[in-house]
Amino acid sequence: MREAPYEVTLKAYGQALLELARRRPEIVCLGADLTRQTETDIFRDAMPQRFFNIGMAEANMIGIAGGLARAGHVVFVNTFGVFCTRRCFDQIVMAIAYPALNVKIVGFMPGLSSPGGPSHQAIEDVALMRALPNMMIVDPADAVEITQAVGAVADYPGPVYLRLKRGETPIIFEEDHRLDLKKAQVLSGGGRCDVCIIAAGMMIPAALAAARTLENNGVTVTVVNVPVIKPLDAATIVASAACSHIVITAENHTIIGGLGSSVAEVMAEAGLAVPLRRVGVADVFAESGSREFLFNRYGLRTQNILDAAWRGLALNRPVPVAPVVKSAPGAYDLV
Amino acid sequence: MLEQQVIYDLRRMATRVRLNATRMVAIEGFGYLGQALSSAEIFAVLFGGGFIRRGRDRFILSPGHYVTGLYAVAAAVGLLAPEQLEAYGKDGALLEAIGTERTPVVDLVCGSLGQGLSGAIGYAIATHLAGEDRDTYAFLSDGEMEEGQVWEAAMFAAHNSSRMGRLIVVIDANNSQVDGSVDSVTTVEPLAEKWRSFGWRVAEVNGHNVLALSDAFASRSPSSEPFVVIARTEILGRMQSIPQRADGHFIKLDASLKRALITELEAALA
Repeated sequence: MREAPYEVTLKAYGQALLELARRRPEIVCLGADLTRQTETDIFRDAMPQRFFNIGMAEANMIGIAGGLARAGHVVFVNTFGVFCTRRCFDQIVMAIAYPALNVKIVGFMPGLSSPGGPSHQAIEDVALMRALPNMMIVDPADAVEITQAVGAVADYPGPVYLRLKRGETPIIFEEDHRLDLKKAQVLSGGGRCDVCIIAAGMMIPAALAAARTLENNGVTVTVVNVPVIKPLDAATIVASAACSHIVITAENHTIIGGLGSSVAEVMAEAGLAVPLRRVGVADVFAESGSREFLFNRYGLRTQNILDAAWRGLALNRPVPVAPVVKSAPGAYDLV
Repeated sequence: MLEQQVIYDLRRMATRVRLNATRMVAIEGFGYLGQALSSAEIFAVLFGGGFIRRGRDRFILSPGHYVTGLYAVAAAVGLLAPEQLEAYGKDGALLEAIGTERTPVVDLVCGSLGQGLSGAIGYAIATHLAGEDRDTYAFLSDGEMEEGQVWEAAMFAAHNSSRMGRLIVVIDANNSQVDGSVDSVTTVEPLAEKWRSFGWRVAEVNGHNVLALSDAFASRSPSSEPFVVIARTEILGRMQSIPQRADGHFIKLDASLKRALITELEAALA
């Protein structure tokens, strides 16, 4: 793993999809008037015959994707996460999930990473997709995972919701990092420890930063990365949680129905008597604003993980303060 | 123009569709019979009139409530065994009351309304990408025109027709929906002008006239220009034995009505 501040890259998804499509003629790409924003402009320019702009008609786009998949195509559907989950939920159920078709729904701008207010902030997309039988949910943490995720979900013969940060993407993992759709990964720690932090997607940098600060303050930590929220790797999560004093989940999503809920379910069913704290959007709609402002106001910062850990462990010392990581120009801001 | 014998055969097939559907619905005593009664000629002409080429063309049934008519015509042309119809609607049966992923014969059937045309477009794009000689037929109903997705799909198809294989839509315009007549709920008319203004070529015919339907489907263009046939029908299919006040969307067949309707249809086949 690399160290913060993380370098960033652009269009990891768009490049990976184009390269895959060059090798796989059955791949087609659909969009809904957000071509550059979903990094599919490079696909459109390179292979226009396999790119279809459906326009601002997400319900129609999902239905067309279903027809194409029934005819044998692997279909990547691209728009913002809010529009491809909330807006066309019944269409996803009937045209994609129920028939278990080979359609990859790619939703950009997860959680509070959009400055556009509640209309553009997908805070419940994971909850919606998780409720659907047959639907896999992938929430990659960085550009390395995104690149690998594109090929992995194309190889998986069924519906997938792929949740992607828009714009600059951090590079957290080394090139030898391997994304496995069946596995959560213990990124640091492991074995007996005080705190087990279970995180996904954009919360991985904060989880790693919180772990480092806690370790520096004499608290042992395991960090588990959960790029595949459904189907959940319950074995890794239960094993990590079982030997911790407290479990903290961190998600860029409402705490209802997403990663935190998923972890709570498997812990409860395994009979673990380990306290759980869920860091995430606390069942509220947010507002417009920068990522730093929103993550601060709605409790998605490194400090929020530290606070949750400290409260959970009931330590008598003052809670440590998350160090400010000076980011170089073009580097990923840790908040 | 069709020969008299072909017309006669298609009319008999439509009657056979109504009789098969009536017998299926009679098992439980209620069900989606009106849809089969209104669409019997449409199904007969599409499946029995040489339009849908089996194993080649694709058929999408958007309103899943019409599967009774589909099963009925499938049995009439030998795609389903007659005894399969006898299990219709029973717990665990293959032939369910509303279409599902298990429904035989169709390439796609939707239970949630307004979604079939989008799926048909997906198929038609795939046909174009593969360079195949396949037509895509999509069956819609007029009540579905209240769903916005239908118009999203209509707009897309006209704009992108050069990137799609041939697409033929037929609308069973029976003016019936759950709460009553479509025109009592809202105004979907004028359908022909709406589809024309969306860029489609339109034929509007009497949907109980097999010759008119057949001529309309035969006029599909050799190109991929999107084409819609608006078939004007009556929800009770002009059956004399059903009281005109009956709820055509979900018909209740008591023992006497069942007897009367089967007698009327068998007499027409005699």
